[in-house]
Amino acid sequence: MNRVRKNPELTRRHFLRAVGGAAVALPLLSSLRAGAAGEEFPKRLVLMYTPNGVVPDSWWPRNVTSESSWDLNTIHQPLAPFKDRLLFLGGVDLKVTDVGPGGLHQKGIGGLFTGQQLQSGDLFVDGCGQRAGWANGISVDQQIAKTIGIGTPITSLELGVRATENDVQGRIAYAGPGAPLPPMNDPSEVFQRLFSGFGQNTDQLAELRARRRSVLDTVQAQFKSVSGRVSSADRQKLDAHLTLVRDLENRMTATSNGSSACVAPAVPATLDPNSEDDMPVIAGLHLDMLATAFACDLTRVASFQISTSLNHIRYPWLDSLGEGHALSHMGPSDSNAFRELVARQTWHSQMLANFLTRLSQIPEGSGTVLDNTLVLWGNEVAEGNTHAHENIPFLTAGGGWHFRTGRSLQYTSASHNDLLVSVLNAMGVAATSFGQADLCGGPLPNLV
Amino acid sequence: MRPVLRLLGPACALLLAAACSSNAPSGASDPSPPSGGDDGLVCSAGERPAAPLALLTRRQYDATISDLLGDNSQPSSSFPAENQVAGFNNNTEVHIANPLLVEQFMNAAEGISARAVAAGVDQLAPCAGTSTAERAQCGATFVASFGKRAFRRPLTTDEAQAFNTLFAGMNATRSYATAVELTIQALLQSPQFLYRVDSTRAATPETGAVPLDAYQLASRLSYFLTGSMPDQPLFGAADAGELSSPAEIETQARRLLETGRARSMVRDFNQQWLQLEQLSGLARNSVQGVSDVKGIGDDYRESLLQFMDQTFWEHGDLKSLFLSPSTFVNARLGSVLGLSAPATGFASVSDAPGSVGLLSQPGLMAMLAHSDQSGPVQRGVFVRQRLLCLEVPPPPPGLNPVAPDPAPGLTTRERFRVHTEAPACSGCHKLIDGTGFGFEKYDEFGRYRTQENGRPVDASGEMLASGEAAVDGPFDGVQELSTRLASSERVERCLATNWYRYAMGRVETEADGCSLREVEQKFAASGGQFKELLVAVALSEAFRYRPALPGDM
Repeated sequence: MNRVRKNPELTRRHFLRAVGGAAVALPLLSSLRAGAAGEEFPKRLVLMYTPNGVVPDSWWPRNVTSESSWDLNTIHQPLAPFKDRLLFLGGVDLKVTDVGPGGLHQKGIGGLFTGQQLQSGDLFVDGCGQRAGWANGISVDQQIAKTIGIGTPITSLELGVRATENDVQGRIAYAGPGAPLPPMNDPSEVFQRLFSGFGQNTDQLAELRARRRSVLDTVQAQFKSVSGRVSSADRQKLDAHLTLVRDLENRMTATSNGSSACVAPAVPATLDPNSEDDMPVIAGLHLDMLATAFACDLTRVASFQISTSLNHIRYPWLDSLGEGHALSHMGPSDSNAFRELVARQTWHSQMLANFLTRLSQIPEGSGTVLDNTLVLWGNEVAEGNTHAHENIPFLTAGGGWHFRTGRSLQYTSASHNDLLVSVLNAMGVAATSFGQADLCGGPLPNLV
Repeated sequence: MRPVLRLLGPACALLLAAACSSNAPSGASDPSPPSGGDDGLVCSAGERPAAPLALLTRRQYDATISDLLGDNSQPSSSFPAENQVAGFNNNTEVHIANPLLVEQFMNAAEGISARAVAAGVDQLAPCAGTSTAERAQCGATFVASFGKRAFRRPLTTDEAQAFNTLFAGMNATRSYATAVELTIQALLQSPQFLYRVDSTRAATPETGAVPLDAYQLASRLSYFLTGSMPDQPLFGAADAGELSSPAEIETQARRLLETGRARSMVRDFNQQWLQLEQLSGLARNSVQGVSDVKGIGDDYRESLLQFMDQTFWEHGDLKSLFLSPSTFVNARLGSVLGLSAPATGFASVSDAPGSVGLLSQPGLMAMLAHSDQSGPVQRGVFVRQRLLCLEVPPPPPGLNPVAPDPAPGLTTRERFRVHTEAPACSGCHKLIDGTGFGFEKYDEFGRYRTQENGRPVDASGEMLASGEAAVDGPFDGVQELSTRLASSERVERCLATNWYRYAMGRVETEADGCSLREVEQKFAASGGQFKELLVAVALSEAFRYRPALPGDM
């Protein structure tokens, strides 16, 4: 979607948008953010997830002589233009996986952004007979969305590339304990949700809002009719649903004041979200639309996952015809598997680099949207063939308003819960603890 | 840093890499024998099986909208996929509302109502009156009639009033058509439409088992057997109070099984029971004679579903599922498999080499394989978990297997055999691989083969610890395994359990033991007739009753 539609009518306008595919173009308001000195711009967060570990010898920085003197390794060459915006975080462990139910991949993906164990139970049985439920708490993106997502039309956007495993192995974002958020895998649906309503005028939008309010008020009243007659477990389900309807109604008043880079992209071609061949196009479209959503201030919080743990996926466009999970079990002495794994992980870096490039092209004040964006990239295991939860490949990009970037840091057995606390702090959420409290010691030292 | 256990050495890891790749169902619960009671209930003792709220799945939503308004646009295509448990996407514990789904419920309702009104308000909500008051009265009629079909029961006075108020307001300030449109939107986003609710305030009998009322039973029957709202005859039976006796329920169940929607329901069950979503995006290298393999997983799925259709609707019993030699091929699969096929569509081939029944189906064999080799582990896991409801025992605590480096040039059996021979792994993996090796005559395309790498294929396998003596023991190939499974009591019970899970929208608990046992007995007594199994589920007490709830008297 760098195939941006060059519509001068649209490019000169700012957008006011409501949820549910309706937006309105407003006449240019010169008072909008562009360039006002000292103005605060919104901060954005993206969580990025790729599965099954990495090839550590090609992933971690080389020639490290000090935290600020190091070279990018093979996998991260695409990120060279952004080297001074990166932070490599060595020695950070998913300690939350040391105990509690679930298989190694299940625990890793569930705990990665929640800092929580999995719930016990028999819901999900992995192929090794391990049993577990969902992660037992909110994920860090959603905690942040409660603060900075308020007032934007879309509280948070969950995007997936073949993230089609609909159980604990496939979910990274949680609204709360046992409440996973499904990712959108189809760029057409993402487009529809974000941009379909661009172009409605204020009168149309006001009428749409009034109608929706009447409908949703009626709907909300209906929940009382049902919830008095159900079990307590079902009442919780209905209450949660009712809260979501209320949120939907509240978000209708949200407005987005986009920058001049807020340009509705072209309608994406029809793609098959299950096809391995379509994965690169889908990943590119997702990230381009996310960048535009930031430019339009449609949302400030997102997650982006490339497939799920334990997947069978091949990357034929890289000439990588091994299956993801099986491939990750091969040791580095398998030169073909090694080549494929490095190629895949380099491609993941390329996706991130493309996204950072897009953000760096969207002006915001005297800088760009990239200056106001933080990306945290993680994985549910360190290496596929050890399943280790120590020294997880954690990398941040951006966040320069809070973190001292351009460094490669080495911790000793740090708890990743502390990293999540640091992310909360970076996004303006005061916290000293996140997830499982006994694993928290405050934010990671030496980041700010 | 936690030490990584390397006890197992290389042996288990590749095996686990394959075995861990799919989620397994939990096992069937141990049935408890039915116990008689003097209240007419067989299962009168103990805790009552749960009757949780059931949120419509995407498929149910689309079918319901189609039946309600004739709108076949499949509006749920924008909904996120349901979460899954044990293969099923209608599990009431995990298929719950989330922000994206609730947003899409609104968008879908807006699209559906707009299309309905555009198609003609006069048919939808006819009104001869012209005054605002007269039109509001027409609105009340519409709310009562359409609302009843949307909520699958008559509206209460309070409910009717709420929608009448919305209608009257929009009729007064906008237009009659807008009032119809927004009323539909509100009904389609209300919990009474989106959820199947099995509770109305009722007196609680001493047993604690509250009989479902006629409308609730009608909904249960129709969503189980047709995946949609009750049809007109079923509504009529509910209106007339003709769904109270088991005989009346049975009559409706048998009638519903003859409808077209029942056919798509059986497909839906088979897709989930066999976990055919794994065929979406199936990755395969190109194969001789076929230039384009993109989307071939969809061909395999259709082939397998047509086999399952024939088994269910033409043959009708469990034995034929395992022993019917049909294979369905289209042109592309014909080329892959070396079978003659029609230029368009699928046709049945009855004498394909190696064709035995379900276990030799090309779609199943292709699904249970790697992109470049067969999959003994997936196949073994499938037989044990999906067909026999056996659990894979969890590995020892703290086990963290380390992968081996590969040894090139081996046959599939040799590559995997090294794992079952390692002492620390063999306990579990003899169970899985012993079964899976019996499938070695079917490659990753589902093609029958007698040679691999120039050497004869060894398709000897061994069933161990199946829980049924007649199933256990060495076997040679899929033919012998199929013959055993075709008359296995455990397979019969496992299929009954899976249908029960599908019908109830949840995994069984101890409280289901008695009802499930009833179902299993009836299925066995019928000689493994599928339709009898489904009727038995519909007649089970867990299906016809609910436990007492807080609002009850």
